[in-house]
Amino acid sequence: MVNEGSQNDGGRCSGNEAEGERNIVSSVRANADRRTFLKGTGAVGLAASAGCLGGSSSGDAPSGAFKVGVLTSHTGTENPIGNSIARSAELAAEELNANGGVLGNDVEVSVKTTNEQPQRGKTKYEELTVSENVDFTTGVFTSEVLLNLMDSIASQQKVHMTAGAATPEASTMLKDDYEKYKYWFRTGPVNAHFLGANMVDFAEANFSDMGWDSVYVLTEDYTWTEPVDEVLRNQLADAGVEVAGMKRYAGETSDFSTIYDQVEASGADAAFVAMAHSGSTAIVQYAKQQRPFAFGGIHVPMQLPSYWGLVNGACAFGVTQNTATPQSEITEKTVPYAEAYKGKVGKYPVYTGYIAYDAVMQYAAAAESADSRNPDDVVAELESSSFTGTAGTLRYYGKDEEYPHDIVYDESGENGVRPLWLQWKPNENGDGGSQTAIYPDSLASGSYDSPPWV
Amino acid sequence: MALPLTDVVANAVMMSALYALVAIGFTLIFGVGGVLNLAHGATVTIGAFSAYYVSEVFGYSIWIGALAALLVPALFSAALYRGVIRRVEDDPITVMILTLVTAIAIEEIIKTAFGTQPAVISSLWTGQVAIAGGIQANNLLVFGLSWVIIGLLFFAINYTKTGKAILATSMSTKGASLVGIESDRMYLYTWVLAGAFAGLAGLFLGSIQTASWSMGRSPLVLSFSIVVLGGIGSIRGSVIGAYIIGFLETFTMSYVDSSLSGLASLVVLVLILLAKPEGLFGREFTE
Repeated sequence: MVNEGSQNDGGRCSGNEAEGERNIVSSVRANADRRTFLKGTGAVGLAASAGCLGGSSSGDAPSGAFKVGVLTSHTGTENPIGNSIARSAELAAEELNANGGVLGNDVEVSVKTTNEQPQRGKTKYEELTVSENVDFTTGVFTSEVLLNLMDSIASQQKVHMTAGAATPEASTMLKDDYEKYKYWFRTGPVNAHFLGANMVDFAEANFSDMGWDSVYVLTEDYTWTEPVDEVLRNQLADAGVEVAGMKRYAGETSDFSTIYDQVEASGADAAFVAMAHSGSTAIVQYAKQQRPFAFGGIHVPMQLPSYWGLVNGACAFGVTQNTATPQSEITEKTVPYAEAYKGKVGKYPVYTGYIAYDAVMQYAAAAESADSRNPDDVVAELESSSFTGTAGTLRYYGKDEEYPHDIVYDESGENGVRPLWLQWKPNENGDGGSQTAIYPDSLASGSYDSPPWV
Repeated sequence: MALPLTDVVANAVMMSALYALVAIGFTLIFGVGGVLNLAHGATVTIGAFSAYYVSEVFGYSIWIGALAALLVPALFSAALYRGVIRRVEDDPITVMILTLVTAIAIEEIIKTAFGTQPAVISSLWTGQVAIAGGIQANNLLVFGLSWVIIGLLFFAINYTKTGKAILATSMSTKGASLVGIESDRMYLYTWVLAGAFAGLAGLFLGSIQTASWSMGRSPLVLSFSIVVLGGIGSIRGSVIGAYIIGFLETFTMSYVDSSLSGLASLVVLVLILLAKPEGLFGREFTE
């Protein structure tokens, strides 16, 4: 659902490593005994990462084929989050072409990968908008990549509809300078502030029935969880939930034993979590250690429909928020899209796929409705439109609201999107497990079950 | 909210045994061959992924996976020594660069082939054992196996002919040669042993936590502290050093902040280097 920071850098930076090597070499030359090597090489373990920045340019008005530029993290079926973005945009284009294209033009899709690197993201964005002169762009899973693109989006003056990155900083930039940044929209997910708000709404509606009277909040220390933390800190207690403790843990944590000891010692009924990068390590250790508390919240890896097999069922009885599931009829478009995707790719999509598909479809509908490929006309149309997508009713906040051009979050789901909640349950025949929607009630296909060891 | 002391101690005792397993291999290569093997952490990773592929991907028993975690890293270690290190072992700077490059290359290969999400390795023994308020059976088994392996190594080094020859080589290559010991073969044995130990540690670590491309880094950094604290080349020192560092780590994480993982051991590393550079047990293996 959200991702800030590269999964690939792992705290390593080639520049710093080179520096570390030079230190080692010079110290060895100064005093070539074994202990000095140890002293010098200790520095290697302390190497840290650094960020990057870049520039921007401008392009011409689009003509000819209607081109969609897609920026995704990675492609290939082993990268479901990135692959869902790319393949869903292609699927949308195929469906649009089967229905006559957009404004009488064929739809073409060009996919570029960012590798979750901000500088590469910017270069690829410029290739799409300048060299290929696309009509609009979508995708971008990593918030750091998105934030590094905001000025390019402003200078290119082409609509970008984000599918993946959740940082509220992007819409805050519109709040500060609407005219400059107005070409940016976020089709999904709801921004990180609303991700937290939805956790509180879920808690208020369900915790007493679930037996989660007291929870221990665990969030990984990445940028995206900061707004989530803030909302939980300020609002969870008001929702009638006892907060037994709150902890932001290091994103690269590999041993959760001591953290779980603390949750256990607090007497909490459940760990209420916000995890993306560290989620798999956390849930596997939770399951292996059979901790006497339940586990749920925003757990990005658990959103993958194929997750049970990837972690040998460690996600059993885990609960997570999600944009959509292949079986949930959020709108009449949800299930047909998921099935069409499976027909094309062989697997069900993850949440980023629903959003990217919706972004392409909504942009095409707005261009048709405005009868124009001029970005300013489409911006005006998008601002005023309400579009039924696979993830719900797609509307955007206006320029005078708190988060301009962010997708509207609506707890009722009628005038905006609302995430759904699911639980992983073992299949009755004992062979594998599946995602069961448990909230909201209108989409629920089952109710919450406590882990049997709790 | 204070954590129960028994839980913290049980965790520390178990993790320290694992640290000892990694540090012994590191100190063996350093003490006997004089080589600072920065690829030792990557060997841990190779062990974990060997077990993962055999048991989880190819579907064999985790115990067959354990055999792979023993053999593949041992072979890798032997190949690294014979193919690369032996040619340059008299040039410590080149050795360090080559082992560092090897470590990075292995991490990149695993990252590319497997991806960045952690891999799950089955527990060797599932369930709980009713000791000290309930300990995971898998952790208890890992602790027991680690100590059996460490005990066997002690025995082998001190009471077998080959072990004594390794010891002799570590003390003086020339002296050992004079009494007919082939130092080159002893170095190879040392690398194989260190590789097998690191591989098993990788399996244990993977089965308790998870396996990932970068999982070898933290054990490597901890090994520096443990080996310096215990005295370079001393197996006994490595075991005691592992327990001191293991307890310090676990208590810091439990009672101060879990984010401080790794910091306590680096502080110890710096203090020992400044105050008592020969470590607690000096050098059993001397040149």
